[in-house]
Amino acid sequence: MFSYIARRLLNLVPLLIGVSLMSFFVIQLSPGDFLAEIRLNPVVSGDTVEQMRRNLGLDQPLHIQYVKWLWSVLRLDFGYSFAYQVPVGWLIGTRLLNTLILNVAALILAWLVAIPIGIRAATRQYSVSDNAFSMVAYLGISTPTFFSGLLLLYLAFKTGWLPIGGMTSLDYDFLPATGKILDVARHLIIPAAVLGFGASAGLMRQMRGNLLEVLRQDYVRTAKAKGLAERPVVYKHAVRNAINPLITLFGFEIGALLSGSAILENVVGWPGLGQLILDSVIRKDLYVVMASLMLGSVTLVLGNLIADLLLALVDPRIRYD
Amino acid sequence: MRSRITTLPLVGTLVFVLLVSMTGAQGQPPPLPNPKVAAEAPEIGKYGGTYIISQISDPRTFNPIVVQDTASGAVTNAFSDGLVEQNYITGEIEPALAESWTVSPDGRTWVFTLRDKLVWSDGQPVTTDDVVFSLEAIFTQGVDTSFRDLLTFKGERVQWRKLDARRIQFQTPRSQPPIGLFLRFIGFPVVPKHKLADALAKGGAEFTRSWGVNASAREIVGTGPFTFQSFTPGQRVIMLRNSRYWKVDKNGQRLPYLTRFVIQTVPNQDAARLQFLSRQIDAYGARPREFAELKRQEQAGNFTIYDGPETFTREFLVLNQNPAGVKPPKLTWFQDARFRRAIAQAIDQNTIIQQVYAGRATVPTSDISVGNKLLYNPNLRPYQYNIERAQQLLAEAGYRKGPDGLLRDSQGNVVEFTMATNAGNQDREAIGNLVRQDLTKLGMRVTFAPESFPSLVGKLTGTYNWEAIIIGFTGGIEHGTARNLWLSSGDLHMWNPKQAQPATQWEAQVDQIFEQIATEVDAAKRKQLYWRFQEIVFENLPMIYFPYVKTQPALRNTIGNVKLGLQGATGVLETRYYKGAFRP
Repeated sequence: MFSYIARRLLNLVPLLIGVSLMSFFVIQLSPGDFLAEIRLNPVVSGDTVEQMRRNLGLDQPLHIQYVKWLWSVLRLDFGYSFAYQVPVGWLIGTRLLNTLILNVAALILAWLVAIPIGIRAATRQYSVSDNAFSMVAYLGISTPTFFSGLLLLYLAFKTGWLPIGGMTSLDYDFLPATGKILDVARHLIIPAAVLGFGASAGLMRQMRGNLLEVLRQDYVRTAKAKGLAERPVVYKHAVRNAINPLITLFGFEIGALLSGSAILENVVGWPGLGQLILDSVIRKDLYVVMASLMLGSVTLVLGNLIADLLLALVDPRIRYD
Repeated sequence: MRSRITTLPLVGTLVFVLLVSMTGAQGQPPPLPNPKVAAEAPEIGKYGGTYIISQISDPRTFNPIVVQDTASGAVTNAFSDGLVEQNYITGEIEPALAESWTVSPDGRTWVFTLRDKLVWSDGQPVTTDDVVFSLEAIFTQGVDTSFRDLLTFKGERVQWRKLDARRIQFQTPRSQPPIGLFLRFIGFPVVPKHKLADALAKGGAEFTRSWGVNASAREIVGTGPFTFQSFTPGQRVIMLRNSRYWKVDKNGQRLPYLTRFVIQTVPNQDAARLQFLSRQIDAYGARPREFAELKRQEQAGNFTIYDGPETFTREFLVLNQNPAGVKPPKLTWFQDARFRRAIAQAIDQNTIIQQVYAGRATVPTSDISVGNKLLYNPNLRPYQYNIERAQQLLAEAGYRKGPDGLLRDSQGNVVEFTMATNAGNQDREAIGNLVRQDLTKLGMRVTFAPESFPSLVGKLTGTYNWEAIIIGFTGGIEHGTARNLWLSSGDLHMWNPKQAQPATQWEAQVDQIFEQIATEVDAAKRKQLYWRFQEIVFENLPMIYFPYVKTQPALRNTIGNVKLGLQGATGVLETRYYKGAFRP
């Protein structure tokens, strides 16, 4: 098992180099650079802009820029953000936790809602509740998060029950610890609900479909024929067998923990990574973009690894030795 | 909303306790012998309260010397000052950290005297050493600053010498004798040597990174009305009252009145508006289209939206006249002033005003906004929408509209070109579509193709490979600082940049005027030069202007000392005060 994990992690190295190489050069393909804004300032001369370009190291040939970047990344130095002139690591650090809070909350919400509903819908296929849940699920799948986010923000504005965007109140710094948690939780309700609702819709359909498939299997029929009660048949046998594809999905969701909420963050003003990354891509803040792409790749690979390990844990038929 | 109310008393007491303990520990700071009196403020305010505004992006730095974006400027302007400052209503230059100055008869030597007993927010005295240090920082290799170009004249930097702790002498280069705009150029922020000297000693790059957004509040000191307290990325900057500020109100009470100044980061303009309407922020710079709607909500929202003046930002269409970028026949068309005038005559400005700006804009004449009361030339009559006149101008220049409805030049080439703008800017996209329709009436075949901003700038300043572009520039009150745009040798002389010799006679004239403006000390004579400049631009139209957009600032009624100024400013931070019962 450990050698398997080590192998998977080792595979990560060439993968990351490949990803970084690709993205570094693909970013250069789009025209313009970070200094576009300052170039259009009538008070700043071309010489000054040229000097700024040199200060940022953008005057060097591309392959040199890449090698320099790679070398410092190997020493865990992700460089400086062009826009903020602070280490990229610090910049990402300030927002990493916020994004995690939002996505983990949404993930928990989605699974807590989707699994029971999925099971219920499958066991009562084509009942009124199944159809109703399907309707809601289709609505959830087809509504883009930015739209439902805006809708809820508007509701919050009209009713005044919840804060309109952001993550903390103005007086956050003066609140006691419990007050701080409650404050963030209040701000979390809208984005987590939007994100969780969207994710749970797909998840629930998946659960329902898998379970239906399993329920039609011979061994379920045998178990029922032997006189086993409905509940043990469903929960002890069918659900456990139906859950495998969901675990793979779970892996992907872990991989998307840091990037899944990018659009929503921009709508509701959640100070997460998504906002930062989007701004950096637009501004061509090269090293921030690179670091976030690397981070995304690592979480994706780790997510899949975790899913594979979980699969082995849940399903004794799967072994990696 | 509800939790906020419940937490108010608690927070109020905390702030109060903090303030008392602060002043209690250090005692009341000694008053300045010669403070500046805030004469513009209509009311005497009361102390306390919080004023909250919003910005669409996070600040990028807290280092006043290297600031280049408005979000960072909003923070640094609140805690830093220059030797002089600009009056927000009249645009005139006034004393700030310097209480007075003298200028030698030849206009080359300026001596500035700092206010007596001036102190940084940490209590250290402000001396000319700090001024000298700031200048050294500006001229250090590797410091990314836009102040360097303002203090460099024809490649020669301004000379400075410390006379004593309070007096500093500046000398402008011999090649550029009296400098008329010197007071405009000298407005660089003064930063504390005792806090930043270590960083500068390590080099320019290190200085550029000092006082970054990861800096601690203890490190950042200033002379402005507020001191930096905290920054939470993606959320807000909180600033506290500087009890050592150098301005007083008309009753001699030390300013500022407010206890806290908060800048919230919001994701977009719509969020800012929503937060303003729900009373989470106190000020909102409304878009033209929102004016009428917000006017109706004034009462319910307890705010006032003001009919502000035009901004200095100019939106325009520019045609490429650069032989390195376009080839004949397009080059020939674009270089012909009659062709450009015909376009100006064919653009229906009133439709743009109505459709794009909901009536909240003014027909343009030239490069200086109607809102710039100091320099705008009111004698020029805007180009009226007149298709016949435009066709007549084109006919005079040898263009013929064929039976197929297409316009051809004297060689028989169909007049067609591509017009770009930065995608995502809705106003410019709307204007572009209207202009395309208007030009189609003349028989021109115009392709309107918005593209990304960096790509557009790359073409405009790098490859020169473009035909027509709709874009905008912000402007300052003293237009003579836009030398990089108007001098024919300038990098941003978009239609034909970096010319060795002026390509046309009118460009030579503008060059001359800009040099004269820079050296003319007499304000009235400078104004004459600016008027002449506007006439030349109006006549030759290197840029075809779109309406100057009006501002419509909205402000909560609980905020005091409101007086409308240039570009829709509603007041200054130091005299703002909170009228109502205090929020935290």
